[in-house]
Amino acid sequence: MSNPVSSENPVWAQGLEKSFGSFQAVKGVSLSVPQGMIYGVLGPNGAGKTTTLRMLLGIIDPDKGERRLLGDPQPRNVAHRVGYLPEERGLYPNMKAREAIAFMGALRGLDWNEGRKRGAEMMEATALADAVDRKIKQMSKGMAQLVQLLGSIVHRPEFIVLDEPFSGLDPVNQESLEKLIVAERDRGATILFSTHVMSHAERLCDRLAIIAGGLRRFEGTVEEARGTLPMRAHYVPCSDGDVSALLPSGAERTARGWRFTVPDGGAEKLLLSLIKGGHGIEGLSMERPGLHDAFVRIVGESRADGQEAAL
Amino acid sequence: MIRILKQAMVVARRDFMAVVATPTFLLFLFAPLLMLGLGLLSGTGAAYVATTSNDIAARIVAIAPPPLGAELSQADAAVRQIFRDYEAPPPFLVVTPEADVAAQAEALFKNDKYEVTAVMSGKLDSPQIAHRQVSDRHARYLATLAEEVSRARASGIALDKKQVKPQFVKRKADAPRAGTKQASGFGAVIVIFMLTLMLASQAVGMLAEEKSNKVIEILAAALPLEAVFLGKLIGMFGVAVLFVAFWATLAGLVVALAPAGMMLNGFAPAIGLPMFMILCGAYFSMAFMLLGAVFLGFGAQAATMREIQMMSLPITIFQMAMLGLSSAAAGTPGSTIALVAEIFPFSSPFAMAARAATDSAIWPHVLALAWQALWVAITIWVSVRLFRIGVLKSGGGFRNVLSVMRGAKA
Repeated sequence: MSNPVSSENPVWAQGLEKSFGSFQAVKGVSLSVPQGMIYGVLGPNGAGKTTTLRMLLGIIDPDKGERRLLGDPQPRNVAHRVGYLPEERGLYPNMKAREAIAFMGALRGLDWNEGRKRGAEMMEATALADAVDRKIKQMSKGMAQLVQLLGSIVHRPEFIVLDEPFSGLDPVNQESLEKLIVAERDRGATILFSTHVMSHAERLCDRLAIIAGGLRRFEGTVEEARGTLPMRAHYVPCSDGDVSALLPSGAERTARGWRFTVPDGGAEKLLLSLIKGGHGIEGLSMERPGLHDAFVRIVGESRADGQEAAL
Repeated sequence: MIRILKQAMVVARRDFMAVVATPTFLLFLFAPLLMLGLGLLSGTGAAYVATTSNDIAARIVAIAPPPLGAELSQADAAVRQIFRDYEAPPPFLVVTPEADVAAQAEALFKNDKYEVTAVMSGKLDSPQIAHRQVSDRHARYLATLAEEVSRARASGIALDKKQVKPQFVKRKADAPRAGTKQASGFGAVIVIFMLTLMLASQAVGMLAEEKSNKVIEILAAALPLEAVFLGKLIGMFGVAVLFVAFWATLAGLVVALAPAGMMLNGFAPAIGLPMFMILCGAYFSMAFMLLGAVFLGFGAQAATMREIQMMSLPITIFQMAMLGLSSAAAGTPGSTIALVAEIFPFSSPFAMAARAATDSAIWPHVLALAWQALWVAITIWVSVRLFRIGVLKSGGGFRNVLSVMRGAKA
């Protein structure tokens, strides 16, 4: 596997900045996406995810910073090796589905007839077989979105960018899309997708970056993101006596017991003191924080930083 | 460059098919037929009204005894020949004098059966001709009839007796006069202008579809915007060529079926008809691409259909200004204004087409076509930058436009 921060990676960006008028949307984002990975760009609404992706693809130019896409500092030079599903979906409503896929392939250098052929094959493989010659305007939003996704990968790109690919899809289509993303990774493509839905990122991402307030706040694996938060424990004592004095500060009362953050160095010492204090252990469960919790903490910290900076 | 052209052709193909493969295109294709039909209908109606109004309503009258009346009628038949139908005076009528001629004339003016515009009465050598305020030409015509009869009587030669036996000889086609060449040039300006007005103006709304359905993001990510703009222009140009080819074929058939020399009589460009037609085709292409690129660039800045509609007025004014400049050039070949019109890129295609009608040199056209092609590229380049700054927000507004311009100079 390639080095996570190497400038030889399919995507490499250093200190990207972008302002729209007086509003600074991206304040210095650096990214490096290793070959053959599914890489998530996570962030709340307005974090600068889409602007970052558009700069990486060369749709807009950064005000500052460097970028390299598939080794080329001019992303447009390698556009034929890239697939892109934008956040704002767009298809010609009067085009037939197969034609739309072929057209998107042709934009990236694929022969039109080959695009039609592959389009039909891909639609058949994704349960859209009966819609091959249906006009886009006659399709549901989810179907049209899948057609657009197929259009963005019909030319078998090495690098695929999906901006909020799951938004607007029902659970069945979301699962189809997840399978498609994994299949593309297995084919050898590198995939970069943005989302603010943690469950997709948790299931799919090999690595991820969290962007908030125009800055990258975290970069690493899902496990590393979770690791930014300590473990939580749920403890149910045997006795009814007051145990709060023995528990770490910030412990919360639950219906049957207490929930608290496991102190540095582990829970053994604490449990021992509870047993010695005669409270016993009727129940104990250790809870690993999810990506959602890590995300909320990281984004929350970034907002606090922003407010401090504003003060 | 070849790559950009290839990419542009993908966009052009989509746009061409999107326009041509719809029933609406037939309406567009046959729009001139509708215009022609409406024109013929209203023309026929107007002609009918004019004819029937002459027959039913207007009359010029002579109050004269039968012998003089007959002579005046003969004079009318002879003189009337020189008029075209639409120029001829109203039908001539003779009535026999009554006791009170003045009252009779007054009654003629007031009758409800037809509208009498002039009445002649009295002696032949000093006729009294009463006429309506706006019909003095009709009165003079009656005086001319009296004069003719008077001369015939004096000479003793009857009016229906032909003294002169003229031989009419129609000359073969003359070498074109300067005026004819200028008229050909002016005709070329008008035809190219009308086609450009009808077809290139549509470029203003060409990016509206992509902006409204968000396809612009896909295009902008996959292709250089130059290729997108060029593709849109080529696609629309393909539609225009199809339109022109259809009507040119029909016009060619009409010319071929018409009697020899009837249709192109007096159409005599200095550079020769075949070369003139080729150059007109080339200049139409350049005019379309140049003005189309300007309109596309302006239209691309618009956020809504309302804004696009608002742009139609300045665009029409701009086109009319180009027509004015080119018409002035066609009217004064070789003048300073003609040179200005030939050099100014947006009037150059029209003015150079006019030049082809009056000047047989080829090299200025080679130079002009290269100059215009350069301006097509410059216009697309500027339009793309403005689009990037104004719509994709890849820049910081007007200051960036200026910096782009400065960059271009550097």
